[in-house]
Amino acid sequence: LPVRNFLTLEGVGREELKEVLGLARDHSSGRVGHSLIGRTVCLAFFEASTRTAVSFELAARRTGADVISISEKGSAIQKGESLLDTVVTLDALGADAIVIRHPSAGAAALTARHTRAAVVNAGDGRGQHPTQALLDLYALSNALGGFYELAGRRIAVVGDILHSRVARSLVPAFRAAGMEVALVAPDTLLPLEARAWGLPILSSVDDALDWGADTLYALRLQKERMTGARVPSVAEYARYYGVAKRHLTAGALVMHPGPVNRGVEIQGDVVLSGASLIPTQVASGVAVRSAVLALATGAVEKAAA
Amino acid sequence: VTSAPNEFVIRGAHVLDPSSGLDGVMDVRLSAGRVAEVGEGLRGIRALDADSLSLFPGFVDVHAHWRTPGREDEETIESGSAAAAAGGFTSVVMMPNTEPVVDKPIVVSGLVRRVEQESRVRAYVSAALHEGLKGERLTEMRLLKEAGAYGVSDDGLGTQVAGVLRNGMLYARSAGLTVIVHCEDSSLATGVVHDGVAAALAGVPGSPGSAEDAATATALVLAAETGAKVHITHVSTALSAALVGFFKGRGACVTADTTPHHLTLTDERISTLEGLYRVNPPLRPDGDRLGVGEALRDGILDFVATDHAPHAASEKELPLEEAAPGFLGHETAFAALYTELVRKGELSLSRLVETMACAPGRWVRGGAYGVSVGAPADLTLVDLSEEWTVRADSLVSRSSNSPYLGRRLEGRVVGTVVGGELVYDRMGARFGVRA
Repeated sequence: LPVRNFLTLEGVGREELKEVLGLARDHSSGRVGHSLIGRTVCLAFFEASTRTAVSFELAARRTGADVISISEKGSAIQKGESLLDTVVTLDALGADAIVIRHPSAGAAALTARHTRAAVVNAGDGRGQHPTQALLDLYALSNALGGFYELAGRRIAVVGDILHSRVARSLVPAFRAAGMEVALVAPDTLLPLEARAWGLPILSSVDDALDWGADTLYALRLQKERMTGARVPSVAEYARYYGVAKRHLTAGALVMHPGPVNRGVEIQGDVVLSGASLIPTQVASGVAVRSAVLALATGAVEKAAA
Repeated sequence: VTSAPNEFVIRGAHVLDPSSGLDGVMDVRLSAGRVAEVGEGLRGIRALDADSLSLFPGFVDVHAHWRTPGREDEETIESGSAAAAAGGFTSVVMMPNTEPVVDKPIVVSGLVRRVEQESRVRAYVSAALHEGLKGERLTEMRLLKEAGAYGVSDDGLGTQVAGVLRNGMLYARSAGLTVIVHCEDSSLATGVVHDGVAAALAGVPGSPGSAEDAATATALVLAAETGAKVHITHVSTALSAALVGFFKGRGACVTADTTPHHLTLTDERISTLEGLYRVNPPLRPDGDRLGVGEALRDGILDFVATDHAPHAASEKELPLEEAAPGFLGHETAFAALYTELVRKGELSLSRLVETMACAPGRWVRGGAYGVSVGAPADLTLVDLSEEWTVRADSLVSRSSNSPYLGRRLEGRVVGTVVGGELVYDRMGARFGVRA
């Protein structure tokens, strides 16, 4: 059976996005049933994760797959088994798909070179987090009334771009969907050559709204690690890079990959406000990941459209 | 009286302003705090006869310690600004190593308010780059800027870890602030004077030139890489000056200054073993003095800044090893440089005015600076022929730790005008003087 890896969204095309989002919608509406019956999905999480792991597990089970889950705690991974040894073992056990989360960029691609199973990147270091960006596009397109409504929208990605795998998947995905993207961060939270993206780089949420942002995508600030060294204080960060109620008067939408630092990148009263897509994003995870697993394993070759 | 109370004519001074090319005897009319007219035969009800005096754009000192808050026994905004005015300085940047350190927006806004009330000259606040100048946690630079901070610096200590300095530069770039860098590697700077012949013979622990040069190189490499606006202050060695030149040629957004004392004094002084002569960076051998002077002449170093650092007598009348480092600078800067460099043919008077007024003025103001119609009337009047002896009891500063005490100097500031007001006056003129 042909397998299809989901390693990166760098270079993703508009048709591919439409295909995944369409199939996600079919899963969500029940038009696609237990497409993964008889398939084995392996969740190999070399880094702590709650929501992504749970979301993938639900997606696999709801589509009828057998699920093997190994995480850093209480497994061979914790005992120091190398990435490749783990992959070879899973391959030998007959996994059809390996969903991998790892602290280093490139781990998913390395895995794919050593297994016959389809590999789905569930986040590797600062590299990529394709299913997060896909579920974000799904949630946003649903909120706007369809995939075609994404084109021409302006989205500002705010926060720690430097360390963010989410940002590295979001940027090519949003652009492939026809959106205009701006980055909003201090230079300490951007790669030195951030200009490589060819995107506007702005210095506050206010500037993003002046630029015309209609969606504000806030990234999580790892505040324990960043304050002091790269950001002076939560107060200053929140002042310039935090999304507050006052930013929503013109109807901007707010997104965040979770978990949210309330009062840092988003004020508490924004998280569950009408402008917030955050609950929708979480809810979109299962449908999108079901679609990705179905496409990855070849269980569904084309969107049932 | 028909003319406006804030209008007068300075008549007959020799105006020298390299930025506008003015060089000759002419009259200057000031009105509403600005230069209104420059020409010959200007009339006004109130006129100042400046015959035989020189008129320059007001001097600008981007490096001063006015010891406020915390050590008002040594200097205050009032006394520091009076000393600045007596030295012909019309704008000054205050460094943040006070007690407490200027690292919080509320300290900056408090200082800005006090400057408005207490300072005779324009004064700008440089805030700390890192909390407590410790080189660890970034300060809230954007909030500091909103509170009125002009730049950021860990002056007095220097940022020791390159990675920390780099992030500081990157964040300052985002905040739109210039980083003023005191270049000193503390792992090398273990002594109290320059580690040279004089230190060897006198038996005083020395800090090698590399303490400054290695830190300067690091700061310049990081400036070039990050694209931050960086100012290297008090360059004191020939090698550090050459490094500045090298990086300027490679497109780094860098400026640099040196001090009057590094341009006029050498480490020979430490053979006296007097605590008065301790300063940081330390006085260097004559080769460095000459190299730094050449760099200033050639434009590699952009301007002069005094590092005016008042200290109580009890902190200077000590053995070198126990004395606090630092010299007074405001009141002697022009005369020391005029006497030691211009009169000896090492620097032209025009370049001295450029490096004390025009270049630092453009740096502070972020635009044109000079004696031109419409520009703020910040001016300095000097009697180049006056000889005077530097005496502790005639200094305006609250402290008296000048390295030129007892020295006979040529050229004396006789009048200082800030925004059209005469804030310092040794001419006997009696108009526009602030109470």
